[in-house]
Amino acid sequence: MKFSWSKLAVLAVTGALTGALTGALWGGAAQADTVKIGFNVPLTGFAAADGKSALTGAELAVEQANAEGGIDGKMIELLVYDDQASPKESVPIATKLATQDKVNIAISGSYSGATRAAAGVFQANGIPYIAAYAVHPGITRSGDFVFRTSFVGEVQGRAGAKLAGDILGKKRAVLITLKNDFGKSLAAGFKEAAGKFGVTIVAEYEYSIKDRQFGPIVSKVKADNPEVIYASGYFFTAGPLVSQLRAAGIEVPIIGQEGYDSQKFIEIAGAAAEGTIITTSLDRDSDQAETKAFIAAFEKKAGYKVDMVAASGHTAVMVAIAAMRQAGTTDRKAIRDAIAGLTLQASTGKISFNKLGEVRKNVQVQVVRDGNWRRHSVIDDPELLAPPTE
Amino acid sequence: MLAFELIVQGLIQGSIYALIAVGLTLVYGLLRILHIAHAALFTLGGYFGVLVTNATGSFGLAIVVAMVAVGGLGMLVYRFCYEPILARPPHVALIASIGLFIALEEVFRLVFGPYGISYTAPPLTATVVVASMNLKQAEIMVMAGVIVLIGGLAVLTRRTRVGIAWRATVTDPAMAQSFGVDVIKVRYLNFFIGSALAAAAGVMVALLNNLVEPTMGSVPSYKALAIIVLGGLGDVRGTLIAALALGVVESFGTIYLGTILDRDAIAFVFLIVVLMIRPQGLFGKT
Repeated sequence: MKFSWSKLAVLAVTGALTGALTGALWGGAAQADTVKIGFNVPLTGFAAADGKSALTGAELAVEQANAEGGIDGKMIELLVYDDQASPKESVPIATKLATQDKVNIAISGSYSGATRAAAGVFQANGIPYIAAYAVHPGITRSGDFVFRTSFVGEVQGRAGAKLAGDILGKKRAVLITLKNDFGKSLAAGFKEAAGKFGVTIVAEYEYSIKDRQFGPIVSKVKADNPEVIYASGYFFTAGPLVSQLRAAGIEVPIIGQEGYDSQKFIEIAGAAAEGTIITTSLDRDSDQAETKAFIAAFEKKAGYKVDMVAASGHTAVMVAIAAMRQAGTTDRKAIRDAIAGLTLQASTGKISFNKLGEVRKNVQVQVVRDGNWRRHSVIDDPELLAPPTE
Repeated sequence: MLAFELIVQGLIQGSIYALIAVGLTLVYGLLRILHIAHAALFTLGGYFGVLVTNATGSFGLAIVVAMVAVGGLGMLVYRFCYEPILARPPHVALIASIGLFIALEEVFRLVFGPYGISYTAPPLTATVVVASMNLKQAEIMVMAGVIVLIGGLAVLTRRTRVGIAWRATVTDPAMAQSFGVDVIKVRYLNFFIGSALAAAAGVMVALLNNLVEPTMGSVPSYKALAIIVLGGLGDVRGTLIAALALGVVESFGTIYLGTILDRDAIAFVFLIVVLMIRPQGLFGKT
């Protein structure tokens, strides 16, 4: 056989390539030994704006933890799926995360409907699941593997009643309620605690999440002449609502909640936003190192001002990471138990969980001053803020 | 007094509905197509209004740019979406239109971002007191704008050759063509004017809410359908009255039925009741 340099060269190159590929594959396999956190979040559809903030907050938590060496030397991997805030998307996503991706723990960066549906799947598969900011009370009732890092609506509603009647001293309230689980549970909490703080409810009006024009309600509220307005909503409904209330010459305090908690609210309502007070989870003027560091890092990464949803996404992932570090194992039951016993200083304050998996933390009261959210006060009454236990 | 305020608020909302629904009924009258994607052009008008105002500081320019640009796009929608399927049964065009509407909403989200955009310095925010009622200049402008635009449309269709040719084409396309009317030009004109009116509505809604979102058209997309059915499909005058009437009914409904009936459901209850009594719509001919 005639010796050929070219054949040898081909052989050599092939061998080298094979080696490189094999190495890459083995390397890949080694890399696959990561800790996996599943994340369902609306990245398209009507809730995409909140989804983007929640995801950025979550990614930031993972980046920070990986920079510190991950969990026992293993890198953390965030597996992200778009659920469009819809239960019919979130159930297959939860099933895939549980059975194919085999995640160690999962987080919801989504709304109540999607989260509640997915919670059942994770519970059935024995995977710990943390709802970052979904408010429906049914979520944690799915079982002992399901936790929540935000207030249920009722707790925040009670805080709103204290804010109106006790802190502001306003007794005649009108409720403008968003007609979904979020708005309804807030209104229920407000009504429950109103009597305790001497607040009487003059009237209540409801609107749908698609409404942006509140002309008729505004006219009626003006005729009702209340001392304070308790209006539930998200920044995209609350922005137009507050600006329309102010344009009609209504000057009484308006109390909102964490749904307002975005710089977008101030952009939409403009000068009319000044003085709007909300109950929320994020204190922009916090002295806590965790909160300050989070706000600075988030605004650098996202390129826009921090909001409650971002802080909640960050907190939920931090809880997952802290629990896994504490458990020292990837056993899901051990991780669940670690979350249940956890006390953590997070970007949304000092948090722990009750036996239902509901968060215990202070309510941050923020107010719009000179076009920014600033601290108004803090409500730290554990009895008033006690989450449901069953 | 409250009743008066509620009527005024209803008329403001009804004016917006009117501007959107007129374009829809024009398209239906001419081509028998239910043009769902019309609501996406309304949204796009809102985007142009905010973006041009923020870039140039001129709200007047923004209205003109929005109406011309969206009017032009409306012609493209006709050319590339409807013209190729005109010979097919009407549901084909309806499905194409729904598809186009959903696609455009997602395009807006990708191009303009999911958060929605606002005027950095919202124009016409000063409050005017009219009969002890606080109205924003923007609200007055909306009502005045609708009167001007619809009045202009009426003059166009009744007093000009183009308008007469247009009406002739709607009534009997074959006869109009035999009299030398360019039916294709009439279709383009129809889409241009209908889309431009929707764009004007988008700019005005953007002004009232100071917010334009990708999904801004989702409610108008089906509510405008209810309005044109109420008005007697293809009937511009009937559509106008139906739009204003619905605005006022919704305004009272929000206050007195709000806890049991969603505002957006009122349109359909109204529709069902009217159709039970007058199946041809409020103003349709039997």
